[in-house]
Amino acid sequence: MQEFINQFFDVGFMVDHFDEVLEGFWVTIQLSVLSGILALIWGLILATLRQLPGKGFMPVRAVTIAYIDVFRGIPLLILILIIAGGVPALEFLPESLRLPQWFGKPDNFWFGVLAITITYGAYMAEVYRSGIESVPGGQMEAARSLGMSHGQAMRNVILPQAVRKVIAPLLNDFVALTKDTTLVSVIALSEVTQVANDIQSETFNSSALVLGALLFLAVTLPLARLIDKLIAREQGRFTRGAPRVEAL
Amino acid sequence: MEGNGSGAMLSLQGVCKRFGQLEVLRGVDLEIKKGEVVCVLGPSGSGKSTLLRCVNLLEPPEEGDIHLEGRSICKGPGSGSGEKGWELNFVRQRVGIVFQQFNLFPHKTALQNVTLAQEKVLGRSSAEAREKGAELLERVGLGDKLNEYPERLSGGQQQRVAIARALAMDPHVMLFDEVTSALDPELVKEVLDSMRKLAEEGMTMIVVTHEIGFAREVADRVVFMDEGVIVEDGPPSQVIDSPREERTKKFLGLVLEH
Repeated sequence: MQEFINQFFDVGFMVDHFDEVLEGFWVTIQLSVLSGILALIWGLILATLRQLPGKGFMPVRAVTIAYIDVFRGIPLLILILIIAGGVPALEFLPESLRLPQWFGKPDNFWFGVLAITITYGAYMAEVYRSGIESVPGGQMEAARSLGMSHGQAMRNVILPQAVRKVIAPLLNDFVALTKDTTLVSVIALSEVTQVANDIQSETFNSSALVLGALLFLAVTLPLARLIDKLIAREQGRFTRGAPRVEAL
Repeated sequence: MEGNGSGAMLSLQGVCKRFGQLEVLRGVDLEIKKGEVVCVLGPSGSGKSTLLRCVNLLEPPEEGDIHLEGRSICKGPGSGSGEKGWELNFVRQRVGIVFQQFNLFPHKTALQNVTLAQEKVLGRSSAEAREKGAELLERVGLGDKLNEYPERLSGGQQQRVAIARALAMDPHVMLFDEVTSALDPELVKEVLDSMRKLAEEGMTMIVVTHEIGFAREVADRVVFMDEGVIVEDGPPSQVIDSPREERTKKFLGLVLEH
């Protein structure tokens, strides 16, 4: 039993390595927040492209749907390896793109951001789409009948309602994204997994990895509660008796 | 409003509309003069709503021609159902529509519902739009509800906001698509009163309705539709009180029975 506790829950060991692990976790947070924001924006762009009306935009819609299908269908880990191994070898790119060192962050940080944004943009596009499609068709008609263009109607009428409905599922995706940032350790980014794993390799003690996991919980548990609250609030909006015939 | 000579405000010639195999409009001819109030009656599925939706190009017709203030709004039928062949801007700036389901923007207050398109489409300043919006909401009896969200308003109040929202664009023609059908009976009157006032002020109106009493009292003309064509067209005293066509008689018999 003591051996078990020493292996996984050695508090003294955790305290000794706390600064190192926390430093790694700080990289994880930066990676998560930056990729999360970019994926939110990229997903919204994809969802909007997917909803463009008329025959003329058919190719745009087709390309967007293909993109979403492909990147939801391939593992993030493979994408990370493809980008990190492939982009630096593209000699025709300027060095600032092949080996980006922006804002004092190493290139593998940026490759991670790129891969996560590409993949989670596709996931989030689908979440936005479900939100857009849950807005009754009468809303678009009303906006268009007042003379708004499709773009104006999307921006002022459809998207504000759609986004409000999908904040909870988007946050859900963000939690998943945060956990998936650990995959970037595979290209040797010193985020929390990489740091704690190195400690384990040197000391044969897993407590640093457990500490990393606990740090994740410190972020993801409050988010889970927040998501629950948002869902309850959204449901409250419906049960308060607003006459939204089409929505029911 | 700039009058466009003495010609018809709106004229439809041989308008046809299909949804797949279903022929909803099968050659509709209709002329409406400036300031005229035309009520359209007919059983459900007769094409009344589709007719309105053709006029403001929410459902562009497949055949036939529609002239608004003397100008054809169907640039070459057969140009497809895309938006290119249609005079969308010309039409939407002149034709307002009110829907059965109100379709208010739920994330905007009553006043914001009325100001949004004024600012985005007509380019009015927000002060100008708010002044106009408040004035219109006052006119439909909602001067005290400017900052309420739609979910806090009754159906009748929501529908009056929708009327104010359409009027804010200074339309020359107003279309009403069964605007009282989704309302509780006690709320119907307040909406009809707003419409009656509008008619008295000289607005050109096409009103699809099941309110026979309203049609009899307010309409200059009543049109009876069935199976995608106009069966009878004349003053209310004729079409409602002494219909000539069998189909009209039968329908009115069913509606007026209870």
